[in-house]
Amino acid sequence: MPLTYKNIEPLIVSGKNNFSKWLGYFGLGIGVLLLFVSMQMFVNIGQLLRENNPRKSGGYDFISISKTITNENMGKDNSFTDADLMKLKEQPTISEVAPLISNKFRVRGTAGDIIPFSTDLFLESIDNNFIDTVPPTFTWQPGQTVVPIIFSSDFLEMYNVFAPAQGLPQLSAKTISSVNIILECSGPYGAQNFKGNIVALSDRINSLLVPKSFMNWSNLHFMEDTAVHASRVYIKTKDANDPKLISYLDQENYHLNKDKVKFSRIKSILQNIVSALGVFGILVIVLALMLFSFYLQLMIAKSKDNLRLLLTLGYSPKWLAKSVAKTWLPVYLTIIIAALILTEIFHLLFMQLSFVKSANLSYFPDWSVWITAVFLFALTIFINLNLVRKELIKII
Amino acid sequence: MQIQLREVIPDYIEKEKRIASQIWAQNISIKKGEHLHIVAPSGSGKTSLIHFIYGLRKDYSGSILYDDTNIKNVSIERFSEFRQNKISIIFQDLRLFEERTVKENIEIKRILDPYHQPGKITEMAERLGIKNKLSQLAKTCSYGEQQRIAIIRALMQPFDFLLLDEPYSHLDETNRKKSMELIYEECAKRSAAMIFADLKPLDFFKDEKIIYL
Repeated sequence: MPLTYKNIEPLIVSGKNNFSKWLGYFGLGIGVLLLFVSMQMFVNIGQLLRENNPRKSGGYDFISISKTITNENMGKDNSFTDADLMKLKEQPTISEVAPLISNKFRVRGTAGDIIPFSTDLFLESIDNNFIDTVPPTFTWQPGQTVVPIIFSSDFLEMYNVFAPAQGLPQLSAKTISSVNIILECSGPYGAQNFKGNIVALSDRINSLLVPKSFMNWSNLHFMEDTAVHASRVYIKTKDANDPKLISYLDQENYHLNKDKVKFSRIKSILQNIVSALGVFGILVIVLALMLFSFYLQLMIAKSKDNLRLLLTLGYSPKWLAKSVAKTWLPVYLTIIIAALILTEIFHLLFMQLSFVKSANLSYFPDWSVWITAVFLFALTIFINLNLVRKELIKII
Repeated sequence: MQIQLREVIPDYIEKEKRIASQIWAQNISIKKGEHLHIVAPSGSGKTSLIHFIYGLRKDYSGSILYDDTNIKNVSIERFSEFRQNKISIIFQDLRLFEERTVKENIEIKRILDPYHQPGKITEMAERLGIKNKLSQLAKTCSYGEQQRIAIIRALMQPFDFLLLDEPYSHLDETNRKKSMELIYEECAKRSAAMIFADLKPLDFFKDEKIIYL
């Protein structure tokens, strides 16, 4: 029969203080659970808001800024000058800058006979890499009568709100591409009709976007104007909530649409809250482990005479340390597995929330939670084994 | 295996005692199968010597070798291996688990490296007259009974050397004889050496080498 801990168990005085033992288990359980849940929620929130935030792409925020209109500058030219753009580009918090160039000529849009609708329009163009949805058809060359348009999905939503009251048909995202818009462009140097074709919807940019080549050509052709007059500028930044960026924009009197960065702000606040919870969890784990080590030290101190005699009789210190430390493993394992199960339950409950349902979250806890679980288990084994070994060497 | 004492002098001993001693500051070697009887009055360092050899204390100069290994350089881990199957001991102060039964006290040593089957415990206990005590707590046994428990415990493992530190101090003549016979038998089975420290020479040892400490 091989030698096991059972043989020496009666000689190890576990002490009557069960309260501190159970308090330790409870504390460790709560700490581990807090840590796992907060890690999972951190990941969930990050994923959720990334999916819901079209302005965020590839780790960048795209936000539009304009000059704040005040009573003083009302009526003046509030477009961005080349110098303004250069200054913006120099900011370390801003990765790229792209002005939204608007039409100088008059544009009138009609939707033909199917939708009896006619209105003055404004068109804008921007660098393609600032647009979230750029189909390959979004190009234009002089002589082409069809102009591809990227339409703001917010505009479509607005149109669908007032369309029934105006007796106009509501349009889905799919059908809008089949609507033919006649663009009547005119200016002092000429007039021409184009066929507008909506090729994509943009969640990021609230505008009617046309290819830059069309904008340059038509501004020159109808107005003989080549200057860039950008009343709006899009900036690409790593973090729209960077205090340095916000304070710079405030200082320059640039207006930033707060709604655009709302998601980022909510995300940052929520992630800060769960991070604080996670840190609190770590703190509780540390305290629980300390409580355990006190308990372990007390246990070894109480069993000192017996342990010393066992060592004198020929029991190996390594084997004794391993055997004593091993008795706690099932407890640690149970606590960590229970915390993982509860984390999974919380995660599934979180996925039932109405605003989460549409998101494409995994049904299982994030890999970082698994790794932390394994790490915590290894850490507790390591701490235990070392502590017991040290205490044993002390009593020899 | 052989044990060598090379000019071993306890740190605390007075010069006069050291000069008169046949052990301190001498070179002595004990081989497997030999019996060494160390005789000395109380307080002359018998227990110290036994503890030095068993590796419990290091407060001496000189060296003690197990074969060619100086035991001062042996790790605690390696020593535990020696104690499992090379060297066994009967302490003067017995060192039993007082809150465990007699049988458990013996069994805890036997399972470490079983030389005998469990049934041997009962057999030996019967020979030494403590069979009816096996299920009693060790602390409820008399000192003489406890000495016999310590003897049986020391005989449960394989060994090349058996150290005995006044093992019969509380035994009557009959039990002393029975115990001595048992120890001799067990040592003979293992061709083991015996280092026996006592206050005065025993009749049993009349043919053995006697050294005065």
